[in-house]
Amino acid sequence: MMSHTYYLPQSNEVELFQAAAGMNLPVLIKGPTGCGKTRFIEAMGEELGRDVYTVVCHDDLSAADLVGRHLIDENGTYWQDGPLTKAVRNGGICYIDEIIEARKDTTVVLHSLADYRRILPIDRTGEVIEAHPDFMLVVSYNPGYQNVLKGMKPSTKQRFISLSFDYPKPDIEKEVLINESGVDAQTAQKLVDIASEIRQLDDTDIQEAVSTRLLIYAGKLIVKGFDPYQACMHTIVESLSDEDDVLSVLEKLIALHFTKGKDA
Amino acid sequence: MKMLHYWLEFEESMGKVWDRYLNKKVHKFHEEQIVYFEDISKSLHIFHRLIGGEKAKELKITDKRYVETTRTLLEKLSFLGKEFYLTWQDEEAVYLPASFAYFATKEQNEMLYYWLVALAAQVENINNRNLIEQNLQALHYLTKRYSGFDLFYKEATQYLIDKYEQLSFLKSLDAQSNQDLINAYPNPLWIYPPSITVNYANNSEEAEQVEPTREDSDKSEELQMKKQTEQIDDKHETDGFLAFLPESLMSIFEQVNVDRCEDDSFDEDALYHAEDLDEITIGQKQANLSARIKMDLELLPDTTVIYPLGKGHYLDEWDYKKNDYLVKYARILPQVTMNVLPIELPKRLKKTVKHIQAELDMLQLDRIKNDRLPYGDELNMDSWIEYMSHQNKSMHHQNFYTTYEKKTRDMSTLILADISLSTEGGITQEVRIIDIIKDSLMVFSEALEKLEDKFAIYTFSSLQNKKVYFNIIKNFKDRYDALIRGRIDSIKPQYYTRMGAAIRESITILDKQQSANKLLLIISDGKPNDEDRYDGRYGIEDTKKALQEAKKKGITPFCITIDLDAKEYLNYLFGANGYAIVRDGQKLPKVLTEVYINLTK
Repeated sequence: MMSHTYYLPQSNEVELFQAAAGMNLPVLIKGPTGCGKTRFIEAMGEELGRDVYTVVCHDDLSAADLVGRHLIDENGTYWQDGPLTKAVRNGGICYIDEIIEARKDTTVVLHSLADYRRILPIDRTGEVIEAHPDFMLVVSYNPGYQNVLKGMKPSTKQRFISLSFDYPKPDIEKEVLINESGVDAQTAQKLVDIASEIRQLDDTDIQEAVSTRLLIYAGKLIVKGFDPYQACMHTIVESLSDEDDVLSVLEKLIALHFTKGKDA
Repeated sequence: MKMLHYWLEFEESMGKVWDRYLNKKVHKFHEEQIVYFEDISKSLHIFHRLIGGEKAKELKITDKRYVETTRTLLEKLSFLGKEFYLTWQDEEAVYLPASFAYFATKEQNEMLYYWLVALAAQVENINNRNLIEQNLQALHYLTKRYSGFDLFYKEATQYLIDKYEQLSFLKSLDAQSNQDLINAYPNPLWIYPPSITVNYANNSEEAEQVEPTREDSDKSEELQMKKQTEQIDDKHETDGFLAFLPESLMSIFEQVNVDRCEDDSFDEDALYHAEDLDEITIGQKQANLSARIKMDLELLPDTTVIYPLGKGHYLDEWDYKKNDYLVKYARILPQVTMNVLPIELPKRLKKTVKHIQAELDMLQLDRIKNDRLPYGDELNMDSWIEYMSHQNKSMHHQNFYTTYEKKTRDMSTLILADISLSTEGGITQEVRIIDIIKDSLMVFSEALEKLEDKFAIYTFSSLQNKKVYFNIIKNFKDRYDALIRGRIDSIKPQYYTRMGAAIRESITILDKQQSANKLLLIISDGKPNDEDRYDGRYGIEDTKKALQEAKKKGITPFCITIDLDAKEYLNYLFGANGYAIVRDGQKLPKVLTEVYINLTK
């Protein structure tokens, strides 16, 4: 099957993922925002020919949101599968994004799926579903947010093969930028330079560094005909901080790379 | 040496008289477009880190430096042209001139600072022999990578060459030797070697003054700091006769030592006995008259009394060499400051507090969802359908409702602040670390009060294992009010940092709290250390052990530190996600609260 989603591997993640899929092992992906986690899963889904069922977690997410619930129509109540159950029944990748945002007791339903048993018991219907051979569980989170009350239970964490993502290396990121936004190589290089410098700052200055996603936005604006300085201000600078000191420095940095008003 | 110093001062003040006339004639500075380092130092710091400079390095103001140049007659008359503010760096910091007014626009003068900071991050170990190569290499890199710098460098160089004929050597750099240029008219766009090497080359008398020897590097650091003050004073046209500050600084340190001796003679018989630290309600006890009045460094009348609560009790301490506990080894002396005046929230903090409270409002942290209630605000469709879909309805309760309740979170936070003598140190010339810690405690208390979270505040300091002072600012049971603010305000730096003992004491207190979540928030400015062997590895291992004990009790420790070189031992002590370093100390009040919100939302 041809892959339509563009994804450029950073290192051995594709091989690892394929191996995990082949061995029916669940995968945990961690990495900062906008570094390509979701894109990677989509690409792998196409590569492996499996549907991707995505659930984005929040702190109100209940087990019913994953497993399914009863609904009502004119004939009375009927059972509606949740995304997890769908993937378990039909085969496919169930991608649970930002798993850390969900309450710990919610994620416990994943345990029996994430080890050798590969079953999903549904207590409301009394059913125990054995997972389809093509079912694969993938969870992701961003370890950047420190939190006392949240964090994955070690018992959940230790059921996965872990892939650690970071922002792509400069040459890879440059290629991604050119491919995704259509900017020329020189501008892409400048955007990557800017990003690598901003990433020198740590969480005492900005909460999280500039993502590849933001760089692509900047690239797209530039391709649309925006002045590169303006494009960077609206995508990179303003999105990263609200503090005046930091903003003024970031602005300075952009101005150094893309001289104001002049062509780069 | 003193005579020389007087003479230099005299020379300088005489020079000022000439300045108005001669300065303009000789230098043609654009005084109205002047940019001061102080005004943009925050941004420059961030920029320095961003551009790849070493993160622990600081940016400071440089001193004047004597350079033997060939001067025009006018320059000789005005004393100009032989003392310059050069940009240089060493292991500790990058030293920049206090102000720039070379160029005709503010933007360019400001850009010069950014240029020099970027250049300093690129060059390494500039000395008399590689001055040209290093600078050229770095500036080629910068002008190639940044079109903005390229533009600036070209314009600036052209401008400077046009204006200062002494800089014409820039046109023919290939023909110059490094040694020539060290003594040539300095180029403001370059980084120069540290003063020691230059002075060595010049062999002037000043060399002795500036060259720091290893033993009193501390002293020279203070000196550096003070000289900065002098320079900042200069900019406001005040007199600069501060030549003997280093001596007076020494005398402050002496006073501290004297004070400590006095505390050693602590009258233990006079101690009032009390059993349990956390149970004591301060207001009900009478002040013990024999409790001694503490002398304050500032010699101002101070009526506050440190009031000991009991003879203290002993805690174990971990000895990593023995790989075992020293049983009942460290003595905790709980105490409280009496005769404190209740105060209102200081005006300077009102803005920060308001800002943070607005943030808290947005978070709606105190709304808690209660599901499956027999009555409430909203119908929960899930529970209702679940009920309807059951075969045997009568077996199940009809609890379909959801309510959002305003409820305090199940959270107890104990704040443990390090008030050892190192907090006496300055963040800037005016602000000491201890002041920032006090401000942070106040702002943080306001935030926690708003959240209705349970919290307690203690400070600690130590004099060897027999005296670990544990000051009560606020117990969990105390209400946060003007008196607590007064106590925070009365905090004074003292002694050392026996962190392990203080943590163990905090564990005991937190352990009695009923909350599901317990947070031990430690505010510190450096490594654990004490006068005895509690230093280096011993102190760190004991602290680590104490933190492990905390975790075993279900307490989450978190450390916020102002120590810039702290990363390694903090990682070891608290784990990668267990601490935060506040680089800009002035932001501590805000950061502390934000960290807390982040940790607990």
